[in-house]
Amino acid sequence: MAVTTPPRAVIGAPHRPYRRGAQNAILGGVCGGLAIRLGVKERTVRIVFALLALAWGLGLLLYIALWLTLARSGEDESIAQRLLGHRRELYRVIIGLLAIVAILFLLRAIGLPSVGAYTWPFLLTLIGVAAVWHGASTDERHHLHELVKSTPLVGVPASRSRGSFWLRVVLGAILVFAGLVVLRQLGNHRVFINGTQSGWAFGSLAPAIIGTLILLAGVVVLLAPWWLATMNDLSGERRERVRVEERARVAAHLHDSVLQTLTLIERAAGDEAAVVRLARNQERELRRWLFDPDAPSEEGGTFAASLRALQSEIENDYGVRVELVTVGDCDASDDVAALVAAGREAVINAARWSGANTIAVYGEVETDSLSLFVRDQGRGFDVEAIPSDRQGIALSIRQRMAQRGGTVVLKSTPSAGTDVQLTLPHH
Amino acid sequence: MGQPRVFLVDDHELIRSGLRSELAGWVDIVGEADEVEAAIEMIQERTPDVVLLDVHMPAGGGLAVLRAVADKCPATRFLALSVSDAAEDVISIIRAGARGYVTKTISMPDLLDAIYRVAAGDAVFSPRLAGFVLDAFSLEGTNLSPGDVDPDLDLLTPRERQVLRLIARGYSYRDIGTELDISTKTVESHVSSVLRKLQLTNRHQLTNWASERNLN
Repeated sequence: MAVTTPPRAVIGAPHRPYRRGAQNAILGGVCGGLAIRLGVKERTVRIVFALLALAWGLGLLLYIALWLTLARSGEDESIAQRLLGHRRELYRVIIGLLAIVAILFLLRAIGLPSVGAYTWPFLLTLIGVAAVWHGASTDERHHLHELVKSTPLVGVPASRSRGSFWLRVVLGAILVFAGLVVLRQLGNHRVFINGTQSGWAFGSLAPAIIGTLILLAGVVVLLAPWWLATMNDLSGERRERVRVEERARVAAHLHDSVLQTLTLIERAAGDEAAVVRLARNQERELRRWLFDPDAPSEEGGTFAASLRALQSEIENDYGVRVELVTVGDCDASDDVAALVAAGREAVINAARWSGANTIAVYGEVETDSLSLFVRDQGRGFDVEAIPSDRQGIALSIRQRMAQRGGTVVLKSTPSAGTDVQLTLPHH
Repeated sequence: MGQPRVFLVDDHELIRSGLRSELAGWVDIVGEADEVEAAIEMIQERTPDVVLLDVHMPAGGGLAVLRAVADKCPATRFLALSVSDAAEDVISIIRAGARGYVTKTISMPDLLDAIYRVAAGDAVFSPRLAGFVLDAFSLEGTNLSPGDVDPDLDLLTPRERQVLRLIARGYSYRDIGTELDISTKTVESHVSSVLRKLQLTNRHQLTNWASERNLN
């Protein structure tokens, strides 16, 4: 399970469980994570590990083992688990290990075991690096990429000028040479101590690791800019692909909606009502796509969504503009359905009878009430003398609201407009 | 007061010529610009009373114009005119100093009314903007500690809420006055006070709210 640990160590406050640090990591976050776990300074842990590394490379082995087997903060799998989960990656590691064994046997067979003695730590480390790289999460890979990029001499800024290129080549070559010299010492040392060619002396591990590190640093200095450039090419390619896909998506949408509607408008050029309706529909659709892309579909789900559905329905069927404003929102319920149904009657009423070309609808969700206001500035009527053919609508609004314990306030002034206020208690 | 001196900023020639012909005779159009750089230069040079400002333009849009000019031309007032009524756009341009925000679907008489109102130093709220403000300011108490709240800036008075609610319901200032039994002047001062709170409040929820609303 993914566990997220605090970003930094809090001195004196140990935090379980032990995860590799993500925010306070320099390399793999092993030390940073341990500092968080123990509640001590990051620097203290790092110094202890560095000292341990000098003791027969113990710190380094421990570091790599923890890097591979410990999950990073916020992730559910360790690098080793991830590798074990992916057969292909696992096979690569196994093949790498077998190759090392094969090389060592080969060297021994042709009588050069001392060469093998100083190559195996180097090869093993290479495999470890490859394993980390393949098993790391995208986040961690990004972190490592940034790390290499910001390292002086290796990172991108350093690779610009010709001077720094030569500096890098010379420095890299010196490091590789120095590493080989140290490893050579190890070869002599081993032969000198053991005399025979059997077995690998454990005491020679420290120079082996130090030599390997120097050699590896040399290789990194020499090759990293090339590797980074390849990485950048790849991510540039990925970006370009995303951009092209996005463009295709936009083009497809515009074709299905705007372009179609424009054709329809051209065809309906004589029919003003149809043109207005088409344009308004398209405007609403495009607006939602541009500014409100993740809005829930009109079929409802919430109070605001069912009001939006009502808005489209009325604008389509009656050719009037519905100005909708909502404040707050809540999930659909029987109350919401009843209120919207009553509001729908009021809006249809206004669309049919008022003669106004805009109807304002305002819905508000408060902690203890739901309200819906429908207003037009059309011809209005005398509330006391509602014509019999319109009685039904007023009645059905009142009934719907009364059933749920709500209230209806109906105000209308002849030639000034009508205002219907619907309120329901809400829990 | 004579006709207000109006400056148009919009990158669409079609919109500008439409506004020009419809506003002609009612306001004094002193210039127009179709991009941010030119707008910044010409507004400072001509110091109009009202700038009709398009929100979405290349190179920063209306926001960039407002930020560059607002301090240098204290007498010039800005009315944002946009096709978008996304919360983020509306809230950010008002917070940058615009005195009002209307969408391009507004009717010509309403737009003229808005221009005159802004020229007179009042605020113009579309129903949608009023809804946003009610929504944003109703978050109070959710995670504000009492010490953080400046009642003068962070809270709306009950009266201001009433006024905003009526604007959201499509009432004109005059209708609101009639409904609440107060003068139009008083309605205007309530709206201006809400505008001031909207521009000055520190509540970070406002910006968060606006950007989150666009994601929901």
